[in-house]
This record gives sequence, C-alpha cells and structure tokens, in this order.
Amino acid sequence: MFERRLYYHIDWALLIAIFALCALGVAMIYSTTSDPTRGNSHLYVTQLYAIGIGAVAMVCTLSIDYRTFTDKSHLIYIGLLALLLYVLFLGTVQMGARRWIPLGVFNLQPSEFAKAGVALVLAKYFGETRGMPSWTDLAIAGGLTCLPLALIAKEPDLGTAVTLIPVFLAVAYLAGMQMRILGYMALSLVLIAPVAWKFALKDYQKSRISTFIDPSQDAKGAGYQQIQARITVGSGGLKGKGYMQGTQGQLRFLPVAHNDFIFSVLAEEQGFAGVLVALGLYLFVILRSLEAARLAKDRLGSYLVLGVLASFTFQVVYNITMSAGLAPVKGLTLPLMSYGGSSMIATLAAFGLVLNVRMRRFTN
Amino acid sequence: MIERLRRLGWRPGNVRNAAIGEPAADWRQTLTRRVGLAAVFFGLWALGIEARLVNLQVIQHADMVELAQRQQSQTNTLAAKRGDIVDRKGRVLATSVDADTIYAVPSVITDDDGTVRKLCEAFGDCTAKERKDLLERLKPKRHFIYVRRQVALDVAERVRKLNLEGVGTVKESHREYPNHELAAHVLGFVGIDSKGLSGIESAYEKSIRGKDGQVLVQTDAKGHAFSRFERPPTAGATVELTIDSFLQHIAERELRAGVIENHALGGTALVMDPHTGEVLAMANEPTFDPNDYRAADERARRNRAVQDLYEPGSTFKVVTASAAIEERLMPVDTMIDVSGGRMSIGSRVVRDTHDYGVLSFTDVIVKSSNVGAIRIGFKLGTDRLSDYVQKFGFGRPVSPDFPSESPGIVWERTKWTDSALASVSMGYQVGVTPLQMVTAVSTVANGGHYIEPRVLRAVYRNGRRLAVKPKAIRQAISRDTAASMTAIMEQVVERGTATAAKIPGYTIAGKTGTANKLANGRYSSDTYASFVGFVPSVDPVATVLVVLDSPRGPNGHFGGPVSAPIFKRIAEETLRYLRVPPTINPDAPVLVADASRGLTLPAHAVVPEPQLPMEPEEPGTMPDVRGLSARDAVRKLTQFGVRARMHGDGFVTDQDPQPGTQLNDDTVCRLTLARSLTRTVSNTRTQ
Repeated sequence: MFERRLYYHIDWALLIAIFALCALGVAMIYSTTSDPTRGNSHLYVTQLYAIGIGAVAMVCTLSIDYRTFTDKSHLIYIGLLALLLYVLFLGTVQMGARRWIPLGVFNLQPSEFAKAGVALVLAKYFGETRGMPSWTDLAIAGGLTCLPLALIAKEPDLGTAVTLIPVFLAVAYLAGMQMRILGYMALSLVLIAPVAWKFALKDYQKSRISTFIDPSQDAKGAGYQQIQARITVGSGGLKGKGYMQGTQGQLRFLPVAHNDFIFSVLAEEQGFAGVLVALGLYLFVILRSLEAARLAKDRLGSYLVLGVLASFTFQVVYNITMSAGLAPVKGLTLPLMSYGGSSMIATLAAFGLVLNVRMRRFTN
Repeated sequence: MIERLRRLGWRPGNVRNAAIGEPAADWRQTLTRRVGLAAVFFGLWALGIEARLVNLQVIQHADMVELAQRQQSQTNTLAAKRGDIVDRKGRVLATSVDADTIYAVPSVITDDDGTVRKLCEAFGDCTAKERKDLLERLKPKRHFIYVRRQVALDVAERVRKLNLEGVGTVKESHREYPNHELAAHVLGFVGIDSKGLSGIESAYEKSIRGKDGQVLVQTDAKGHAFSRFERPPTAGATVELTIDSFLQHIAERELRAGVIENHALGGTALVMDPHTGEVLAMANEPTFDPNDYRAADERARRNRAVQDLYEPGSTFKVVTASAAIEERLMPVDTMIDVSGGRMSIGSRVVRDTHDYGVLSFTDVIVKSSNVGAIRIGFKLGTDRLSDYVQKFGFGRPVSPDFPSESPGIVWERTKWTDSALASVSMGYQVGVTPLQMVTAVSTVANGGHYIEPRVLRAVYRNGRRLAVKPKAIRQAISRDTAASMTAIMEQVVERGTATAAKIPGYTIAGKTGTANKLANGRYSSDTYASFVGFVPSVDPVATVLVVLDSPRGPNGHFGGPVSAPIFKRIAEETLRYLRVPPTINPDAPVLVADASRGLTLPAHAVVPEPQLPMEPEEPGTMPDVRGLSARDAVRKLTQFGVRARMHGDGFVTDQDPQPGTQLNDDTVCRLTLARSLTRTVSNTRTQ
C-alpha cells in the first residue's frame, strides 16, 4: 500500500511546520500550567501523548490512498453520526456539556473528528459531480453538513458545530459554486441575524456579542476575557516578558490560558517576535495546504484538502483574531497549539490526508 | 450512498457533462483562481493581525503593562513606628505602642442596630449620642469606617470575641506619654494619624516620624496574594532632649505650688544651663496631659515659655545696666539722683516704690529704681540701648526647636520716642518670651556669650548619635561687664528686692521684675511677677526664671515675694541634684583611714567638681558604680531609675547587673559593699 517512492513526495516542509507548531503549543502549555500549586501541571504530558497518538493517526491517514477513504466515506460518516448520537445520550458531562466519551486515559471528543468526516463526504460528493454544483447539490451537501452539525450543537458545543460550516462553504466554493449564491447566503444571514438574535441565541451568547462591541460595558463579566486578552497581548511588547515570565496567563487573569487563549500567552511571553513566528508558521501551513489542493491529481483530492483545511483555517483565523481582541470571545481552540487531545489527534490525522493528497499527486 | 444522493441532484448541464465529461482544465482553472483568492485573503488577514499586534504591543504597550500591573498588584502603606523622645539621661518621655483600632465594613453589615448594640455592650461606655452617630455612619453602605480608634486592649479583645460580621480590629501606632504632664509643652502631642501637632513632636516630625514602608502585594485573578515585595518602614529617630526629667519635675512641682499659693492665672519656670544654652527644665502652668490632649483647652496647651509675651519689667534692667557698664557710661559707684521717687516724661509720670533720694548705680538695680533706670537709659540713648536689646536676643525667635516661637516685640529704633526709651530702660514697651529672658540672663551668667537656647540634645539615627553642639552666637558683653553685672545681681539677692531667693551656703545672682499687665490697652493692677537668676553666682550651673501671671495671693503681686521663693526652691533642688558644693565656707574635707595601706588619705566629703549632667554612660544601660560610696552609688542609680539593694557597708566592690547591661523599668541592682575598698577590689581582680 505504501510505496517506497511515495516517501520522497511527502511534503516535509509542511510536516516540519506542523510539528513546530505542536512543539510551540506544548511549550506554552507547560509555561501556563507548570505551577505545581495549580494541580494541572501534568497537562503538557497529556498533550505530548496526544501528539504521539496524532502522529500515529497521521501515518495511518497518510499511508492509505485517500481515494480509499473517500470511497468508504459514507461508512465513516455513518459511524460518526452514531458516535455523535452515542455522546448525546451517554457521553460524560463536563462543564455543562455532554461532549466526551471516556476512554480511560483521556476523553474522546467525537465532534473533533466530525470535521474530517464531513470533509471526506463532501469531497466525495463534489469531487465526482460534473460541472457547476446545482441548487440541489448544494442543498444535499448542506444537509450532509447540517446533520452532524445539529448533533454537535445539541451537545451543546456551538463552537465546534460552527466549524463545520466552513467545510461546506469551502468545498462548495471551490467546486465552482456561483458567487451569486454566496451573496444570497450572506444576504439571508443578515436577514436572519435579527430574528436569531431575538429567538435563537442564548443570553450568554448575546452578551458575548454585545460586549465585543463595547467590552468595558461589562468589564468583570462577559467583557472580561476580551479586555484581559488585549492586556495580555499588549503587555508583552516587542520582546515579550520571557518564557514562563508571563503574568496575565500565570495568574489566571486570562481564563483557560492553555486552551482558548494560548496565542495571547505566546504574545505575552514571547512578544511580537514570537507571535510573528507562530503566525508565519500557520500562514505557511495554510498556504502550503492550499498549494497541495491546487496540485492535487483530481478534484476529489483538491476538495478533500480544502475541506480538511477549511475548518482548520477557520479556527486559526478566528482564534488568533479573538486572541488579539478583535473578535467576540468564543470557545474555539487554536488547532495544533491549544491543549486538547481529541483536537490534536483529529487535526494531525486531517493533515495526514493533506500530505496524502499531495504525495500521491503523481500516482494513479 | 453518495452516488445515490448525487443522482437526486438536478443539474441543468447534466446532459452535456454526462456525455463529454468535464475537461480537467476547467475545474482546475476555477480551483486555481479561487485558491489564489483565498491565499490573498489569508495574506491580508495576517497583515491585519500583525497591524493589530503592532498597535497593541508597540504603540499601546506601556498602557497595557500598566493595566496589567494595576490589576495584579496593590500597594499598602506600612506606618513607620514613631521614634521615642527621651530626656538627657535617656529616660523615656514619649514612646509609641501598638493599639487596636476597631473598624467596620458597613457594606457587609446587615443588622445595623444589632451591631451597634453589641459594640456598645463591649465598649461599656457608649453615650446615646455616640450610639446614634455610629448607627448613622453605618447606614451608607461604604467599605470602611472607623468605629473607635486606638482603644484599650481589653476593649479590643471583647470586640474580637463578639465575632461580628463586618467588624474588625487593626493595629495602629499609638503615642504614649508615660509621665503624663511631665514636659508636656516641650514634647507637644501627636494626632490620631500619627502626626506631630505641637512641640518637639511637630518640630522634629520628619525625624521622629520615620519613613513609611510599602508592601506591594501581587494577586492573581481571584485576589489571592502570591508574592509580597516589602519595603520595610524605617522607624523614626529617637530624639534626646536637653530636659532633665528630675529637674523638670521639680520645676513643675514648685511652679504649680507657687501658682496655687499665689492664686496666679498661670506661670512659667525655666532652668537653663548657661554655658551650653541647654534647657534643663521648661515648666508651664496651666498644663495638660498629652495622652489626652483633646480634653485640655487651648490655653493649657500653650507653651507660654516660648509662645506668650510678657513685659519683663525690672528684670530687663539687667540689659540696661549691662549696656551702661559695657559702654563705660559710668562707674558702678556713680551716684544717681532718684529723689522724689517720681519722674515726668512728657505727660507720663513714672514712680518708684519708695523715695530713695540718691542711689548708686549698683543700688538702682539692687533697689530696682525705675527713675534710676530711666536716667541710665537716657544716658545710653536709643541707639546704644536698642543695640544691646538686640545683642541680648530680643525681638526675634531665638531657638530652632520651637517653630511656633514668638519673636517678641521690640520697636524699631527710629520709632523710639523719649517715652519709649524710658519704658524700655525699665522693661516696658518690649514683649519678650520667658525663653528669651532666661537666655539673656544666661549671657551674663556665662561671661557674656549669647548662646542659642536648645531643647534638642541629640538625634539617634541608624544607631548613631548625632549630637547638637552648643552654639555661641556672639559675645554680647565682655567678661568684665558680666562679672560686674553678676556682682550687682548678687546684691539684689543679698540685700535688695529678692532676699527671699537666698539659699544658705550659696551665692546667688538674680533680679526681680514686676510689670503691670496690659489689659485692653491699659495697665491693670495685675502683674507679671518674675524672678530670674543663676546659681551659684560664680561658675553657675543653672539659670532659673520664674514668671507668674497675675498673682493675687497672700504674697502680693511683686516679683520679690512671689517669684523669688519659687526660684529658691527650684534652685535649691537643682544645686542638690547637680551636687554643687556650697560656694560660701565650703566644708573641710573629712579624713578617713584606709586600713589596708595604713595611710591617711582624704576622701571626698563632697564631690569637688559640679557633676555636669553629661553622663558618659549610654542612656538606658547600667552605670558603673563600683568604687563609689554607698550614698553616691544609690544616688547615681536613682538617676538611672534603678533601685538598689545593698549588702554590707562602705564602698561598692561589686554590682549585679554589671555596668553596661540593658536596663528594664524595674531593674534592681544588687550592690556588694566593703569597708576596705582596695582589698576587695584587688581580690576581685585576682579571681
């Protein structure tokens, strides 16, 4: 299955960039959680295990031809739905949400794997559709996306659920969906927004948005995290406060610093210089993956890369924008750097697919 | 499954697409174009984020750092302990102790009435007004109010036991004056916020207060402190005064007795070392307890010795006469016509108490003839007299130790009319403070040096003693003049107006003064009765001034009968305390036998040299009394506030505790005495 010559086509640069980000993430997690009095100083170890497992998963997703995956995508998709249903009824409850399947060592979060699953299904769907996707194509693909999305949103884990939308949009867009339709969608979103504001959004979600517009409105409540993120980044300065010298993250002014706000902590401790490195690496990963999509042998491959990349990119863009205090605070992690086992494994496996597509661009 | 789903889709281009199949370049073109677009978008986004970061991390960096620090740290002030004030022997006059202050946090108190009721039960002495006031202050839900500050230990304990919600105690530094009224006016007092409000406490506030420290507490988001950076407070400096507690006590005791006996409104007594300008005692009546300064009225808190002016009357003739002698105006035996006992200056008539006829220069002072003094004054003239008034330190503040000191009133010489010249010659129309007067007379006592009067003797800072050096400002009169003046003043006591000041065995120089008190622009029958003098007249150890305000008692209102006896009692105790041997017919030395040597050696019946109050010993430590007689040893120990327990008799051969040991309030010194000094001492050495 794994031909020797494929080895030479592995995109080592992308691989190195990915693991560089993982290393950076572990370093920052260690920095924010190493204080032995906190009782979670072992988090970086868990993260290292996750990277290890993720690497194994990556090897798996990389070795098997991506077409095998897409051919079996309907099975993967159904299995995924089953897992999500299982979680919804039997998962462990943490922090008011039923998201996890306990696996002894750590808790598996199936929603993280949904991104790759949906990417596979959509790639398969659009990859073998001839011509411009029609309304019905879009509707069917949308339905395929919305099914797991609804299940995840029900957990509730709106943050992860929302990351499925870019997968659909990206694949549809690159598959040649008319820009017009995108315009319609944007328009309908604008129209739906006030209605959603009134009926669909929960109070805490509303307050997050309104405090984004004016954080000082509720400086100790919902606006708190945003203000703290800004202070954290700003107080880092050009050179940063030094590794493990950050105060905002260390002193828990910034909540879940090792998770959602790891980028802010990086900005605080390593300063603008450190941020440039991380930002550069992410940009490199994104652009390199886009290139993989462009170079792909077939549409299936391109769409798969794009689908996988879409949720990743969405999370990166949103998280970094949020960490810089430019977007409302939403519980979205920064893939590859933030603490989170399932996310790490799922992301690495997904990038296995990207590498997979790229290295098989010459094979038939 | 996907295939089946796909077939559901309706496609307009179905036929064409299905037939030919889409050319590969087509989708790839779309893809390339759109991927390019996405790449541009991400590039722009990255630029935007970088711009934002530059804005936050470079432009707003300082603000953000400040914000971070502000929320992570809070600064608290640590009040420095006020330095002690001690007398010249190191005895504590003022000290600081920690006291509990009760505070409340109204915002967490739900039951105002209950809290007030329980607090008042604990206090035990709540007035209805205080109850209401406290209730009133609890109403607005603020975060901090003082309930009672600096309460007694048991009260604080009772309050703590109540365990009331929102009521607590904190330690505050509290000023204690262990001797209560002693030297109250010199010391001054301290407000509730540890700020010196008067006296030395205020004058040397900067030294005594010390430097407040700061604690920088860093907290995490939940307010838990995780680190403290402490800049400890620097305790205030200990200030040593020239005051001698013993002499101060004597002066206060005798002044009070005198004020009561003479039904006076108040008075001042000052004891000064004429050679150094050091004020040994400064007593005022009425007085107050600085521990409870708020209970005293403003009148009682005034330091009359430096703040209140009086017309010195005849005591000022010392200045007039000194000027005349210094200027060689006339020999001291020149006869001056004072016949009639009255003199007209313009429309004014000045009277003497008797018609003396013709008096010598000396007797003008001895008998205190106003007419004679005016004649001398006229001969001196305005310029020369006002020169000497200045040289003797009148008309301006004299001591740096009393910021609230009055400069006194001396008219500008250009405004002196004949009438003014006449008045000044006999001590009217000048306003002086008692401190100015005693300093002026000290100038005569010490041979003509005008020495700056001080109450500050030394400041202990960082373990070092910084002594204040006596400062001779000028030679006001020559040594000869001072000697002549002293001779005249001796006769004042010997046969003049102040015979009541005589102390057997000692020659005393002094001058009485009686000045009618100016009330509402007219001279009333009330007087300032004063006496100023120095003892012994030769090589004096103390200048003493006594001024009584408006004596109306059995002794009349003249300085001679009123103030001179008070002077005498103070001076007598001072001489005894300073162990000054009699100056008239000193006793012959007593010969005692030293058995061990078989020689006859004279031993001192009296200490030959006046022991100046400059003890070489460290204050607060055990003095060395070995080799002293039992009597001297006990006296010395008493000065240090140590009680003695004696074993044997004769001379001290050993003491316990040893010299240099730190003293407590209740140290008892065990003295071993022996008849034969040498043998025991040598025994001790061989051991």
